[in-house]
Amino acid sequence: MKTEHHLRKETLQVVVGLLAYIAITCTVRDSYYQLIFSLVPVWAMLGVAWNIFSGYSGLVSFGHAAFFGLGAFVVTLLLVHFGITPWLGLLAAGALGGLAGLLIGLPTFRLRGLYFSLAMLAYPLALLYVFEWLGWREITLPMQRVEPWKFMQFDDQRIYILIGTGLLGLALLVNRRIARTRFGLSLLAIKQNELAAQGAGINPFVWKLKALVLSATIAGIAGGFYAVILLIVTPSSVFGMLVSAKAMTVVLFGGVAHVVGPLVGALVLIPLGDFLNAEFGSRWPGIQGVVYGLAIITVVLVAPQGIVPKISEMLRRGKRTALVRAPMHLDASPYSRSPAPAEATVTERVTLLDASGLTKVFGGVAAVTEVSLTIKRGEILGIIGPNGAGKTTLFNMLNGLIPPDTGRIIFDGRSLDHLPPHLVCRAGIGRTFQVVRSFARLNLLDNVVVGAFSSHAADADAYRAARLALTRVGMLDYAEIPATELTILQLRLMELARAIAGEPELLLLDEILAGLGAEEIEYMLKVIDQLNRDGMTVGIIEHTMHAMVRLADRLVVLDHGVVIADGAPASVTNDDRVIEAYLGKRWGKHATD
Amino acid sequence: MLQINNIAVSYGGLTALTNVTMQINSGQFVAIVGPNGAGKSTLFKAISGTVPITQGQITFEGQDLSNVLAADRATLGIAHVPEGRQVFKNMSVLENLEMGAHTLAARRSWRKTLELIYGLFPQIVTKQKQLAGTLSGGEQQMVAIGRGIASLPRLLMLDEPSMGLSPAIADQIFDLIEQIHKEQGLTVLLVEQRVAEAFEACDYGYVLDSGRVTIQGDRTTLARDGKVKKAYLGM
Amino acid sequence: MIHGWMIAESVLQALYTGVVVGAVYGLMCVGLALIFSVMRVVNFAQGEFLMLGMYGSLIVFSQLGIGALLGPYLGPFVANIIAAVVIYLIGCLIYQVLLGRVTGLRAVGAEGEGHYAQLTLTLGLSLVLQNGGMMVFGATPQTLRTPLSAKAFEISGFWDEATIFLNQARLVAFGIALVVITLVGAFIHYTRQGKMLRAAADNPEAATYMGIHVNRAHRMAFGAGAAVTAVAGGLIATFYPFQPYVGIEFVIIMYAGVVLGGMGSVVGAFWGGMTIGLVQQMATFVLPTQLQNAAIFIVFLLIILLRPQGLFGRNVERA
Repeated sequence: MKTEHHLRKETLQVVVGLLAYIAITCTVRDSYYQLIFSLVPVWAMLGVAWNIFSGYSGLVSFGHAAFFGLGAFVVTLLLVHFGITPWLGLLAAGALGGLAGLLIGLPTFRLRGLYFSLAMLAYPLALLYVFEWLGWREITLPMQRVEPWKFMQFDDQRIYILIGTGLLGLALLVNRRIARTRFGLSLLAIKQNELAAQGAGINPFVWKLKALVLSATIAGIAGGFYAVILLIVTPSSVFGMLVSAKAMTVVLFGGVAHVVGPLVGALVLIPLGDFLNAEFGSRWPGIQGVVYGLAIITVVLVAPQGIVPKISEMLRRGKRTALVRAPMHLDASPYSRSPAPAEATVTERVTLLDASGLTKVFGGVAAVTEVSLTIKRGEILGIIGPNGAGKTTLFNMLNGLIPPDTGRIIFDGRSLDHLPPHLVCRAGIGRTFQVVRSFARLNLLDNVVVGAFSSHAADADAYRAARLALTRVGMLDYAEIPATELTILQLRLMELARAIAGEPELLLLDEILAGLGAEEIEYMLKVIDQLNRDGMTVGIIEHTMHAMVRLADRLVVLDHGVVIADGAPASVTNDDRVIEAYLGKRWGKHATD
Repeated sequence: MLQINNIAVSYGGLTALTNVTMQINSGQFVAIVGPNGAGKSTLFKAISGTVPITQGQITFEGQDLSNVLAADRATLGIAHVPEGRQVFKNMSVLENLEMGAHTLAARRSWRKTLELIYGLFPQIVTKQKQLAGTLSGGEQQMVAIGRGIASLPRLLMLDEPSMGLSPAIADQIFDLIEQIHKEQGLTVLLVEQRVAEAFEACDYGYVLDSGRVTIQGDRTTLARDGKVKKAYLGM
Repeated sequence: MIHGWMIAESVLQALYTGVVVGAVYGLMCVGLALIFSVMRVVNFAQGEFLMLGMYGSLIVFSQLGIGALLGPYLGPFVANIIAAVVIYLIGCLIYQVLLGRVTGLRAVGAEGEGHYAQLTLTLGLSLVLQNGGMMVFGATPQTLRTPLSAKAFEISGFWDEATIFLNQARLVAFGIALVVITLVGAFIHYTRQGKMLRAAADNPEAATYMGIHVNRAHRMAFGAGAAVTAVAGGLIATFYPFQPYVGIEFVIIMYAGVVLGGMGSVVGAFWGGMTIGLVQQMATFVLPTQLQNAAIFIVFLLIILLRPQGLFGRNVERA
């Protein structure tokens, strides 16, 4: 989370920007340009709405025109048929938009990626044809010059600029609240790696739905205001593809998942487009669309994240902090396991996780067959085996990511059957994943805090837990460093911190040592050892054997999806079956050591 | 034939290979073993060109490969049978093999080559028209190897051909590879999990660990070396 | 009074039109499917390739003298083919200069972001082509009518007074669509080049090991997909008026057809397009005119929500 100072500075910048906008545009005399400047906030608002959903979640919506159009029609029809003032109409527009978001989100979130985008594309276009069929081909808002303030109709276009910018400000406020709280971070986590987010306790469906509803509400209000400004509504002008395209263009150009992005985009593109339309539109109709299209193409090729991030990245390149340039100080002494408790105590350990008879078959191939294992509270259990032995599949079952075909898992007395991954996390199992993807633009602390959300209701508590987690892995000093500047070891430690931020009872580590150098491995081993001494039970999949035999209290060996050995490292590594699994059947004939 | 000079490969912040130097002579059977994550597949990809090297040089039959595109290296005579078989699932067995015969020479002697492949792998003859994705693991491996030799390569690289296969089928595949090596005089570069089998069959072997070559030698040297067991089992 | 033969006449007439138009839709969908199955890219500009096919045929026919050379019966179709060849080259160029940078092996690391880039790039392309078309061609609707457009075979005598009109222009379009589809299918399935395209789509890494230049394969597929859809455009132009924004009307039909047929399947796309054509015609019985278009979207949504893998497809991204 950015410091309060930073946040206040950013808010101030935006407020000043908005006020400056009002001040400058209100000096313009030409009523046509006043109109354009009153439309800029509308498109910026729609862009903000789109950004709140698609920018953070990564699900590309081509259908925000549905909410925009519904909002426009609600305001119009309420005024035309019931004489209800647009001030109330806007509220209704927001409400209907939000409702539409809910109704659309519920079935559509079952889809991913491409299919989701295509479905979203269809909604506004379907609405377009339905509205035309219903007879609402072109509706004009009646003139109400008698009581302008009551009906939101003003001779002076500039008042619209004022109202529009005000509404935009509100939308930005909502956006800001989302961006800096668990809402935005959870969405980013889902965008980054949905499985890992689930493993951290985040329920993707709920967050996506919340985001869509909020986004749709704002879009509805934007549409309603659009109708008020233009005083005329047609289905194709509010449901058409150009509407969604404008919303997307404005955000992609300015900066995805950036609060300021849509503003910059709208500020540059809308006046540009309308100016071109006005000046050259008669000679070259369509010039507006061509310019938008070229703008998108250029941005995608040159600055895929948008203009604002590109500029801030360029500015940042000069100022790398000294902290990052100095490599992390690693205690290079080799790690050795703290003296094991007396054998008696080991056998008295309570069983924390009891998995029995787990089987998983993928397309006719049995990845895991009748695997049973227990993890005792307080121990470090290593799960090893040749490549393709089924280790990650096993973890995925323990974690709730895939349901076992047969078998049961009992954790701390509770059955984990049929629990989705985010609830498994809340039950007390944390997990790291092999591929570490960070939120590149955020700092280390923001990256870690998502792991604490499910166990801490208040954001402040979550951040405290995140700092504690960072201290435990030795990275607290790096909390403010942007994630892009972290080394591979630091990224692994970040992933570890994220997994322990929720203070799980059982920590599952998936190949956390892969690719690390010798000193880095020693460091990581010490960190894990300390976590264990502080009370955390650890299950770890690893291939780096020289590390495992020192770290683990007990080893379980999988080969071809079956457990072939289970015991102390010394005995397991001398077990013939294990040697055969790793080195081949004929090893025994030749080995002489 | 293939000279790998002090290459290094890194991507995504990870250093996959460091200071790797190897030499494979024409007609040899060279085995590369090592624990998981050691960089064996990365090595093959570097030779094939699908992963760039950050340092060093790879020379094939005197030609520096740094200017040769990945797809063109296959035409030079380097056949890569990738990890996990990677058959074209939606194409028939025969079409898979046809894709293997991509060089002009291979296409000219296609009939003969096909006979050869079917001779080695009679099980897949009846499945010619079947989609490769519907075959069993072992059969897919046969198709993959057949695809590799269909190009009449000068160098055949096999990445863990036994992975995911039952021991019996793996043995069968292994014997067939040895047979191909002996009968065709093909230079073979083999990455294998099953160390003992690999050492038994090879002329020379390398052990890769954490991206470096830690042990190398001919078959007798390797089989005796206690360090090999330590590399795999830690003690 | 409504006689049985009247219903039969209407149904058969709709059936005829549905099949004939459906085949052309199928061709259109095959173009999109070629691009999608090979490159997993959503191409928003596919409707514009259709549009370019329409205008291209018109220009080659009337401005470049093919019409004068070959007459009004043969001319439009030859012009169509010529235009399609040019559009193939344009498609390859677009891929080389723009899409190639954000798709294929290069995008593998970028995950979701790679997809984003493809979507938005083609969106931008679509905007440029649509509106550029507006600038260059103007907004007046055009047609590429042949003398056959007004002629029809009459079939009667099979049931009371029922008469079905088999519009000749549409029949020719149907015939050509079938020919082109057969050629495309044969190319993909039997030629070496076609198999290389399929291999590149199936497994780009393994294809590279087979000496296949995956980037070149993708480029060819993109160009081919554009050209095939353009041919369909030229055929549609003989019985449907067009203007620069015509692509939008057909994009949903194309996507509906491809999704219905199963997104991995080029063959499926043809049947998907055919089905959509039939649905569209049959909808005239059940629905008032304005709702017919909405019907296509609703059908599309239903397919996506209930059976995203379509009739023939395999890979589906479902939650």
